[in-house]
Amino acid sequence: MGEQGEVYISSNPEDAKVVEGFRLEHMNMRDADSGQILWESPADWEGKFFFQELEAHVPREILACKSVSREVRFSSVEKMDDFKLLQKIYFQGSCFEEWFFKFGFVMPNSTNSWQSTIEAAPEMLPAEILSGNVTIESNFFDGERLLAKSLIRVFYE
Amino acid sequence: MGLLTLLRKLKKSEKEFRILVLGLDNAGKTTALKKLADEDITHTMPTQGFNIKSVIHEGFKLNVWDIGGQKTIRPYWRNYFDQTDALVFVIDCSDHRRMDETGVELNQLLDEEKLAGVPLLIFANKQDLMNAMGPDEVTEVLGLTNIRDRAWHIQPCSAKTGEGLQGGMEWLVKNINKS
Repeated sequence: MGEQGEVYISSNPEDAKVVEGFRLEHMNMRDADSGQILWESPADWEGKFFFQELEAHVPREILACKSVSREVRFSSVEKMDDFKLLQKIYFQGSCFEEWFFKFGFVMPNSTNSWQSTIEAAPEMLPAEILSGNVTIESNFFDGERLLAKSLIRVFYE
Repeated sequence: MGLLTLLRKLKKSEKEFRILVLGLDNAGKTTALKKLADEDITHTMPTQGFNIKSVIHEGFKLNVWDIGGQKTIRPYWRNYFDQTDALVFVIDCSDHRRMDETGVELNQLLDEEKLAGVPLLIFANKQDLMNAMGPDEVTEVLGLTNIRDRAWHIQPCSAKTGEGLQGGMEWLVKNINKS
């Protein structure tokens, strides 16, 4: 089966306070040219992100977009000094792409968002091949400490 | 227009550009950035932290940092000054009562060592409202002509209608390229 990512939540007592107050609130994807939302995380995902693999059912039109914006919204009760996000995209058992962003300082009691716009690869595999075989693992770090991981399996419909 | 178009116009001597967007709460920072990306602005909430928009094109990156403007979180602004290539300061020109407070915050930013020499774009926002001060009046009230240590520009705009936003960002891109 190979690698496909996993969910994780740190059980290190030093991280407990930060982890307890850290929430992934929402994700969405847009057609970056029109600004229109093509997919957003359902309300019942709240509180589940770090505990189970979640299934995103995304309209296949997204594969035809020239550029796509992906947004992640998260909140933190505790302040963080060196917050980072590493997203790994797995397809057919291996990681074929990584997206990294360093946020740095996160205010206490804050809600924050990151939207990243990327142009589509010139040749996209057909939806039938990708659907159900793509997973996105999001790794959240404060400095070198891995706080949590979420995992989303993408279906194109 | 959008941020991707802006990134294409930036000089390619650097790999990564950082634009910092500040201003009092309710100035229209988040709305302006949403409007630039053609997004729906009807459900914009007060920012309780930051909103970042990143665009990537041929290995080059533009990161726009919109930081919340409420009084309680302004002390955290300084955590986001490092490596800033351009500063955008957004003003609610219909809020005459808080124009003094706006001036105090802007002057503090201009005195920041980490932001020294950084080009400054001032969005004179909410020009769609009847009682909004025009750019000349804002320039006078805030004493902007005293700014001599950096390139600056005041751009009348309406984040709600989108008018003026593109013109302002084009000025910014030209002036990042100069510095």
